[in-house]
Amino acid sequence: MSTVAYITARGLFGRRRVLLLLPLPILLVGLALICRSYNVDPNQWGQAVVVGLGLAVVLPVTSLIVGTGVLGSEVDDGTIIHILTKPLPRRDIILAKLLVAAGVSAVVAAVPLFVAGILADNVHFGLALAIAAVIGAVAYSALFLLLSLLTRRPVLLGLVYILVWEGLLGRFVSGTRVLSIEQYVITIADKIAPTDMLPGKVNLTVAIVMSAIFAIGGTIYAINRLGSFSMAGETS
Amino acid sequence: MSEAGVIHDIGYQRYQGPRLGRGAVLGALYTHGLRAAFGLGRSAKSKIFPWGVAGIVLLIAVINAGVRSQTGTWLFDYYQLDNTMSWLVIFFVAIVAPELVSRDIRSGVLPLYFSRPLRAADYVIAKVAALVTAVWLLLGVPQFVMFLTGAFTTKTGMKGVWHELGLLIPGWGYSLLWALIFTSISLLIASLTGKRAFAAGGIVAVFLMTAPVVGVLSVLPSDTAHHLAGLASPIALINGVEIWLRNRTDLGLDIGDLGPIYGIEAFCLIAACLLLLLARYRKVASL
Amino acid sequence: MSVVELQNVSRWYGNVVAVNDISMTLQPGVTGLLGPNGAGKTTVLHMMAGFLSPSRGTVTIDGKPTWRNPSIYRSLGLVAEREAVHGFLTAREFVTACAKMQKLPDPTAAATRALEMVEMTDAQDRRIETFSKGMRQRARVAGALVHEPQVLLLDEPFNGMDPRQRMHMMDLLHALGDQGHTILFSSHILEEVEQLSGLVQVIVAGRLAASGDYRRIRRLMTNRPHVFALQSSDDRRLAVALIGEKSVSGVEIEPGGLTVRASDYGSFTRALPRIALGEGIRLRRLLPSDESLESVFSYLLEA
Repeated sequence: MSTVAYITARGLFGRRRVLLLLPLPILLVGLALICRSYNVDPNQWGQAVVVGLGLAVVLPVTSLIVGTGVLGSEVDDGTIIHILTKPLPRRDIILAKLLVAAGVSAVVAAVPLFVAGILADNVHFGLALAIAAVIGAVAYSALFLLLSLLTRRPVLLGLVYILVWEGLLGRFVSGTRVLSIEQYVITIADKIAPTDMLPGKVNLTVAIVMSAIFAIGGTIYAINRLGSFSMAGETS
Repeated sequence: MSEAGVIHDIGYQRYQGPRLGRGAVLGALYTHGLRAAFGLGRSAKSKIFPWGVAGIVLLIAVINAGVRSQTGTWLFDYYQLDNTMSWLVIFFVAIVAPELVSRDIRSGVLPLYFSRPLRAADYVIAKVAALVTAVWLLLGVPQFVMFLTGAFTTKTGMKGVWHELGLLIPGWGYSLLWALIFTSISLLIASLTGKRAFAAGGIVAVFLMTAPVVGVLSVLPSDTAHHLAGLASPIALINGVEIWLRNRTDLGLDIGDLGPIYGIEAFCLIAACLLLLLARYRKVASL
Repeated sequence: MSVVELQNVSRWYGNVVAVNDISMTLQPGVTGLLGPNGAGKTTVLHMMAGFLSPSRGTVTIDGKPTWRNPSIYRSLGLVAEREAVHGFLTAREFVTACAKMQKLPDPTAAATRALEMVEMTDAQDRRIETFSKGMRQRARVAGALVHEPQVLLLDEPFNGMDPRQRMHMMDLLHALGDQGHTILFSSHILEEVEQLSGLVQVIVAGRLAASGDYRRIRRLMTNRPHVFALQSSDDRRLAVALIGEKSVSGVEIEPGGLTVRASDYGSFTRALPRIALGEGIRLRRLLPSDESLESVFSYLLEA
């Protein structure tokens, strides 16, 4: 299992693609620093930066890039076959990839959110954001890992989820918020460190339960799908 | 026991007749691009996303028109239609720009293209024109639907229709501005990679990244920062230009009297992106 | 010893039947899976390797089904047709990773052995993305051989190899076959199959057209006259005598000798020496000229 994680991690970092992960966190911290240095009231910029950029963009987009990259690229170019023709239980393979994906996403998203949280309010707030971000990273990664196995264009579907489902519909149709990981993250962070900056609109129990369902259910379904992975040759 | 080898002329002849020029190549590339944008001539799967987005925008315009015909006022006018649909336009452009440009890079057909009488400039112009047309149609057709409702339900006859037309034309111009800005940025990003998924993600990320920057800049204590906040994001930039050109102050963004700067930046942004695109394909063309 | 068995296996996609009721058993040694493009060779190989489930029938290795059964990979190695491999790894890293994922007790030694077997020892520390096509292929074979599997499946393994690499790979497969491994490789290039193995499984349009030694298959095709090239001390007199023989259906006289078409292989081979002796003609050369795999294959395709 660790070999799979090693190959996955090297595949992720060995390419220029990893540089794409940098601009978003840098921007987040940069904006927070600017606002803080001008002594702007956090209530004015906190929501825009922490939620609008951090939780709505940095966390999901990072999880998307990483989550689809760990499995989707191997399925796409066919190198997955080298991992599948080994007597490894499919559970181990998925867990190894999930670990790498969630780990990287969590670090890339939680660290700048932590810093931004400190700049916006205090350490407690920063910690709340970081913890919620980690939970969100796990849920998003499981979801995008599953999408990589369900469809040949996981990035596109992931974008539909982030932009259309969470972004557009979540704004206007309150029912869709129950299935929006972004909302769970906001609610959990709000519960740990309540402020006016986090517009939590979902019940806390629902948030926790649904996050667990996304994470665990997604993983189980992905393990199942990997077990039935079919390759029909060049005509597939 | 060998005979001298002979190759017989069975009719393969080189074409000696008149050939269409560069203009025809450009036109062909343009039509192909426009058709590919909407998935025409390809499988059903490639039609889902573009037509889906177009359908949603059209639906909203129809609802808007319905409201107008019932109550006599718009839910949102021609300009507001574009502004509300911003996320859908981002999505549309994030899908279509990679289809137009990244696919050519991935499949390695660029050397084939450029070994024809096609210059890098022609290629860029054709692709840009195709995407601009696609986005403009995406926004312009719903605006036209709104116009038709307005024209048919007007109570002042021909004068009303002319009045409505006078509102439609600037609305179309606004849509054209949207098309130009979104096209230049997204095509530039898409031309950097052969993988459509990355291009789409990159385009979305760029547009989403810049929105909170506007929010931050607008709460900074400096007045100049307020007025210039809109420059940071393409959507806010377009809004700024709208406010400047329509000379109104009630449309959300506060730009003071720095309006011309917005206009200049819009122009420079489009020009810079196009020149960078040109430079990118010049490099490929010389391979 | 591992026995790969397909029993009444069919695989269809909607209305298209890719594999149509195939039953075969693979014995130790090298077997060639022969067929034109699109015949279903890759489908059969992928079903054997557990990457496709049969729509009907069973695919088993030692009695255990291959679908959804990762433990078969302990004794199975697959070299797929797609040349995909993790390019950012060096050859040694890749083979070692394969060894580790196979849970071998000494991955580094196994990797070294495998790399030596494919003669990649001097290039082992270069990244695979810098390799040529043939070298990439060899790296993948090394990865599939590192755990010394009982069953080795190769899909068009000689694609893109230069003649020297091809010869070497054939020797390797021969040696492995002689050691008792079960090796199945697919190809549509007849010369490769002819050189590598006598046993073939011929798939045409999803059906198993023939299996076994291709020379014996040829003899079974009694509706096709066997063709022989004959050289003797007096061709014309021999031709006259042969035409009177019942088992001969045609004789052509050519500057270089006779071409005899015989409808019955056995009777003709018994009658020919008798006739030659009777006429006092010395036979210089007798060659069956359509026992090649190529003619067998083309006869099967036309059938």
